[in-house]
Amino acid sequence: MSEPTGPVLLRFDHASLAYGRVRVVEDVHGTVHGGEAVALIGPNGAGKSTLLRAVLGLVDVVSGGIEVLGSTPARARREVAYVPQVDTLDAQFPVSVGQVVLMGRYRDVGWLRRPGARDRAIADEALDAVGLAERKDDRFGTLSGGQRQRVLLARAIAQQPRLLLLDEPFNGVDAVSQQALLAALRRLQDDGAAVAVSTHDLALAHLACDEVCLLNKHQVAFGPTEATLTPELLRAAYGGQALELAGDSVIVAR
Amino acid sequence: MRYLLEPFGSPFMQRALAEALLLGAVAAVVSVFVVLRRLAFVSDVLTHTVFPGVVIGFVVAGTSGIVWGALVFAVLSAVLITVLAARSRVTEDASMAIVLTGFFAVGVVLVSRQTSFTSDLTAFLFGRILTVDRQQLVVTAVIGAAVLLLLALLGKELLFRAFDPAGAEARGYRVLALDLVLNLAVALVVVAAVRAVGTVLVIALLVVPAAAGRLLSDRLAGIMLIAVGTALLAGWLGLVASWQASVNHGLRLASGATVVLVLVVLYGAAAAIATVRKVRA
Amino acid sequence: MSLLQDGYARRALIEALLVGALCGLVGVQVVLRRLSFFTMAMTHATFPGVVLAALVGVDLLLGSGLFGVLVVLGVSWLTTRPRSDSAAAVGVVLSAGFALGVALLSAQAGFTRDLSAYLVGSIVTVQVGDLVKTALVLAAVALTLALVGKELVFGAFDRGGMVAAGYPAGRLDLLLLLVVELTVVTSVPAVGTIQAVALIVAPAAAARLWSDRIGPTTVLAVLLGMASGVLGLAVSQAYEVAAGAAIVLAACGFFVLSVVVAPVVRRRPVPLGVG
Repeated sequence: MSEPTGPVLLRFDHASLAYGRVRVVEDVHGTVHGGEAVALIGPNGAGKSTLLRAVLGLVDVVSGGIEVLGSTPARARREVAYVPQVDTLDAQFPVSVGQVVLMGRYRDVGWLRRPGARDRAIADEALDAVGLAERKDDRFGTLSGGQRQRVLLARAIAQQPRLLLLDEPFNGVDAVSQQALLAALRRLQDDGAAVAVSTHDLALAHLACDEVCLLNKHQVAFGPTEATLTPELLRAAYGGQALELAGDSVIVAR
Repeated sequence: MRYLLEPFGSPFMQRALAEALLLGAVAAVVSVFVVLRRLAFVSDVLTHTVFPGVVIGFVVAGTSGIVWGALVFAVLSAVLITVLAARSRVTEDASMAIVLTGFFAVGVVLVSRQTSFTSDLTAFLFGRILTVDRQQLVVTAVIGAAVLLLLALLGKELLFRAFDPAGAEARGYRVLALDLVLNLAVALVVVAAVRAVGTVLVIALLVVPAAAGRLLSDRLAGIMLIAVGTALLAGWLGLVASWQASVNHGLRLASGATVVLVLVVLYGAAAAIATVRKVRA
Repeated sequence: MSLLQDGYARRALIEALLVGALCGLVGVQVVLRRLSFFTMAMTHATFPGVVLAALVGVDLLLGSGLFGVLVVLGVSWLTTRPRSDSAAAVGVVLSAGFALGVALLSAQAGFTRDLSAYLVGSIVTVQVGDLVKTALVLAAVALTLALVGKELVFGAFDRGGMVAAGYPAGRLDLLLLLVVELTVVTSVPAVGTIQAVALIVAPAAAARLWSDRIGPTTVLAVLLGMASGVLGLAVSQAYEVAAGAAIVLAACGFFVLSVVVAPVVRRRPVPLGVG
């Protein structure tokens, strides 16, 4: 874990979030720099997805604030990419892998215009970065779950984001795809982008993330991975769902 | 071949054919989005909510008022349905069904105040494609061109939203606005079709072509091509069938309904091909 | 009540009450299962059955009923086709049914008075025989729902759990679809093909806004259905408008009123639909 070198791309300032009048996440506080990856960890219903949506400006911040790329979430959204959970998508939908990746360019192409040669080149490069260039003309639904997740990451990369948000990207992903996803994320970080990923996978957080935000409706802890994923803090976040194993390792139920 | 071209010797049949092909092509393109977004029910709702507009337009300004009345109600109901679908207190399908029948009942109440109740009702519901005049063709062409232009310009955004609504929202698209655009496109097709095929049968043009395309292709372009081809073929063969049946076989068949039946038969053929393919695979 | 002065008005009133109760009863299941579009398709697609029955000269209820069974089977078959989703399948069946009905009818000597009767209903012309039929159907449907109601609700809430518990879920689905079909066919003479769905969905959806429990919702739906029938009939007599449409508008009116009033009276947020 190197010292943070990039500028602060994502800053939570005691942010509390609500759907209507129901508060769902309380008091998140911390920063993420360019080149860093932060893992959002917590049990189901802890507010991980809500926090990601708030960074996109789609959930109301009722107190405190969230600063994205030095601006408001809504204004920064053009430079923020979001990778949805793959199982929310219709596997029967008649789009090709290439079309899905090209969707990442639509916002930059703009209304009323068609993607040009440069957009296609960027999309091809992004698909290559996740190792699926040869599947470009296949239908999206014919791919495995892990491969679909890689395609969605390629779509996000094609967007050339400075901040990348991923919602449970490693759920049901095969080992090959996981390696490809991690490599592609690493490359984005090397280019100076920040990454926020919600996950259940503690091992992965150790492996790929510099920072961890432990959540359970409120922030339990926010800090460097090794210092945050301690048995005490995990028990605090997961409550009875945490199981202690030999000494200092802890596993958590989904 | 002569059998298939013979009916179109007279000007009124030529106009009917032109209207059927125009409407078929435009509706088929829209139907691709209808099927991808699973908007079959919404389309059905729009075909019925336009009905009171048709009646009011007719009462106020005669046959030339129909299009304008329909247009006003099409826009109104497209907005209403878009909003209802987004934030409905009861389940979406229930509120749709209630809007559909409520609007339709208003139309029926209005027609029932007319003296020529029965014949007016059937004309509004089933249309009269054989009495299409030049002006109607122009109206259809203009509305059709507007719809196609709308879809050509916003096609990629509509596709994105259909495939991944959460992703589109995250990307900053106003999903509600995109939904409104598509609902408006559907409503405009209903308006264009209302005098020729009537409000009730338009639903077939808005669902069946792309449903057939979907059975045979996994690709958007393929679905689009098959849908348009199916609709054009149905328009042509349907008119031939209804003309030949009534002229040579003494069997009167309503033209609009026959076009729809041919369309359904073509869908059946597509389903059969898809089944055979699946068995072989 | 001027409604009760002569025989046809009395018969119309009884029919309105019976059909209203029947629709309200079945409507709760339709709303719980989100079957509105299917119900809509049934109302359209049984139309050729009516025409065929009239051509052949058999009982119209029987004709449309038998045809409706075909439609139910058609929808369930199409839904299982590769790459075909149920909404498109229902849309295709709906179009096919209605077009077939219109084509068949046009083969007769032009469109007749009968057609508009089936499209928009003609409750004022019901005969004693119709009343008996409606009453029998109401009894049969009520009995069916009394016997397997709790299983149907279970299936509406958690179909997966139902299969896991060893119920014949497929057959129960089919049973419900047939009950809906029977209801549609029975209420068509009163309110017409296109509008029958409103009398089924609107009272139940309105009742749903007042209660979160199945029992009270059903009772209220039945009452609202009957009230719509009576109110619509009265309005239609007073203002000389189509009776079926007036009944439907009354049902829609109760629904709109419930949307506005129920949350205020209940003083808590109404849940966004039920699973």
